[in-house]
Amino acid sequence: MNCQSRWRTILSNRFVLVPGVIAAVVLVWNIYVAMHNHGVVVGRVVDVNGNPVADATVALWIFNFTTYEEKEHVTTDARGDFRFSNNPSYKLQISAEKPGVGRSDRVPVFLYFRSQDVDLSSPLRLGGN
Amino acid sequence: MTAIESPMPRSVGRILRPRTRQTLLLWCFLAPSLVIFLLYRVIPVIWNLVLSFQYWSPLKAAEFAGWDHYEDLWFDDVFWQALWNTLIVIASAPIGIALALGLALLVNADIRGRNVYRTIIFLSYPLMTVAVAIIWRWMFDERVGLINYAARTFDLVDKPIPFLNSFTWALPSVIVANIWQMLGFYMIILLAGLQNVPRELHEAAAIDGAGALHRFTRITLPLIRPSLFLAFVIGMLNAITSFDLVYVMTGGGPGRATEILVTYIYKLGFVQTKFDSAAAVTIVFFVLLISIAWAANRFTGGNAGAVETE
Amino acid sequence: MMGRYPRWPIHFALIGAGIVMLVPFYWVLKTSVSGENIYAYPPSIVPRHIHPFFYIDVWYSIPFARYFLNSVAVSIIAVVCNVAFNAMAGYALTHGFRGKNAVMLLFLSCMMVPFQATIIPAYLITGKLGLLDSWLGLALPQCSTIICIFVFKSSFDAVPRSLIDAARIDGLPEWRIIWHIMLPLSRSAIATNVILAFIWSWNNFLWPLIMTRSADMQTLPLGLARFLSYQEDTTGALYAFCIMVLAPGLVLFLMAQKEFIQGLTSGATKG
Repeated sequence: MNCQSRWRTILSNRFVLVPGVIAAVVLVWNIYVAMHNHGVVVGRVVDVNGNPVADATVALWIFNFTTYEEKEHVTTDARGDFRFSNNPSYKLQISAEKPGVGRSDRVPVFLYFRSQDVDLSSPLRLGGN
Repeated sequence: MTAIESPMPRSVGRILRPRTRQTLLLWCFLAPSLVIFLLYRVIPVIWNLVLSFQYWSPLKAAEFAGWDHYEDLWFDDVFWQALWNTLIVIASAPIGIALALGLALLVNADIRGRNVYRTIIFLSYPLMTVAVAIIWRWMFDERVGLINYAARTFDLVDKPIPFLNSFTWALPSVIVANIWQMLGFYMIILLAGLQNVPRELHEAAAIDGAGALHRFTRITLPLIRPSLFLAFVIGMLNAITSFDLVYVMTGGGPGRATEILVTYIYKLGFVQTKFDSAAAVTIVFFVLLISIAWAANRFTGGNAGAVETE
Repeated sequence: MMGRYPRWPIHFALIGAGIVMLVPFYWVLKTSVSGENIYAYPPSIVPRHIHPFFYIDVWYSIPFARYFLNSVAVSIIAVVCNVAFNAMAGYALTHGFRGKNAVMLLFLSCMMVPFQATIIPAYLITGKLGLLDSWLGLALPQCSTIICIFVFKSSFDAVPRSLIDAARIDGLPEWRIIWHIMLPLSRSAIATNVILAFIWSWNNFLWPLIMTRSADMQTLPLGLARFLSYQEDTTGALYAFCIMVLAPGLVLFLMAQKEFIQGLTSGATKG
């Protein structure tokens, strides 16, 4: 009984509590990161009217020191969806183009950690500019 | 260290043994600290002195140089500039202490939330000086610094002042940053002194009709003299050694406008690898330090040792 | 007597002082989460688009974890050694013994030797010890501090003499007297020492600047200075880095500030 209350005072001491909470948050965050860092980037390409565009070329640019360089291309499927499966970076840009339809802006994407799995909420819009 | 493990012998017949044993134990307790101070305080001072009379570099055998390095310093403009700047920085310490004394009087008053005020004012002391330097670099920035922004908003200046790039403003800017960081520390030291001033003295003087200013100069000031001295010594040591601030904020520039002795020692020793000249500058630096401490000691009543040794 | 004067001028002055102390914090925090007003004039006072991406930038663009590890390791060595050595030395100084005056004199004169005045021989000595570019070498000069020895001494002096004598009659060995009687009664001295030692070693810049050679051994202040030199003032990441370095010291200080200020105010004058 005495022993138990002693442990309680030790554990509720702020010099134990604060670092403990910080350590717990770091641990949870790391577990979350480990479960979500497959480098999958998913999005959709649409035209000016909002219709999905198939067979558009989507480029992934990753940040390298001071500039963005092109890492890889994929093409969209029939529903206008694209998927990169091994994005290595945390700071990227994505652009799409299709001959005849136009090209999109380079959309910057900031991730919370390297290779975070991300589903782009707003589609890339071709011919917008 | 086995003496620590074994319990004290309790036989009455051997009176002398526990005595010597205890002395031995106390020296063992002192040993680690003594070794560290010997290695990093005592030997360096002596070594510096020796080095300053030698021609020496890491790859060369030592050779007696006499006063050559000191003679070189005499004709070295940068050295004189650095010395002058150091003196200015030291002279700024009392400004910070005066400000801190005002704050200490305020937070010593019987008001609600004074602990919060104390914490807030002290908050800048534990900050990393390099970060403080970066913060203030930016506060002083010519285009987007907050200080120039405020000055322009209130129409104090027509065009922004490039604080850290101007020969007149660079050193004062560094001093302001230094005072900002040290203010809380001075305040705490002075507060400690103020708390030792018996309240009855003030009350008695107030009954006798002494005004607030009178009570302050006649009762408070003399009684907190040891704290003032301590604050001054710490302030001087801090000002004279504010390497980090100068190195990060200005790097000694523009030109040599903010070069102080410490940055000059660093540059001589570790940039130009002239260890021997740097040692000579260090000795001058050291003499300056000791003489100012001595003067401060005389000035505040000549019993500074009393602060530390009771 | 203490009730007669109006309080509001004091609050007014202190709030003013508080603002002066806090504004730089706010300014840096604001830029670190928004990146605003790096080029903009007039700067905006309230951040508009808050995002954490400058922090992420810092984390990946330098070996932050490595610097952090170095800083933490050096600080831990310094703090542990400080508390142990200073408590021991402070305890020894509460006794009378032959040579005590010489030791006191040595300590007091060492107090007047700033570390900056010893850098060249300190570097050479550390080189001779073979500790250049190592955690121990980084921590060693700060493993004992004289001010803290005196803080401990004054705290131990305040422990009632009768308590120690009673323990001694019970036959407690010296180290148990320290551990079970002196230290529990000197919590504010310990807090003061822990915080001061941590602050000094965490913030130390000149010594690592001189003695680290490899990029692997750099500590946070060095990393920060280097980051500044190649990023200049142009990015919010610099200020995010500042916040990341300042946070641990501030957290520790705020956790222990009550004991700390107590220990400092009681130790500084009587010490």
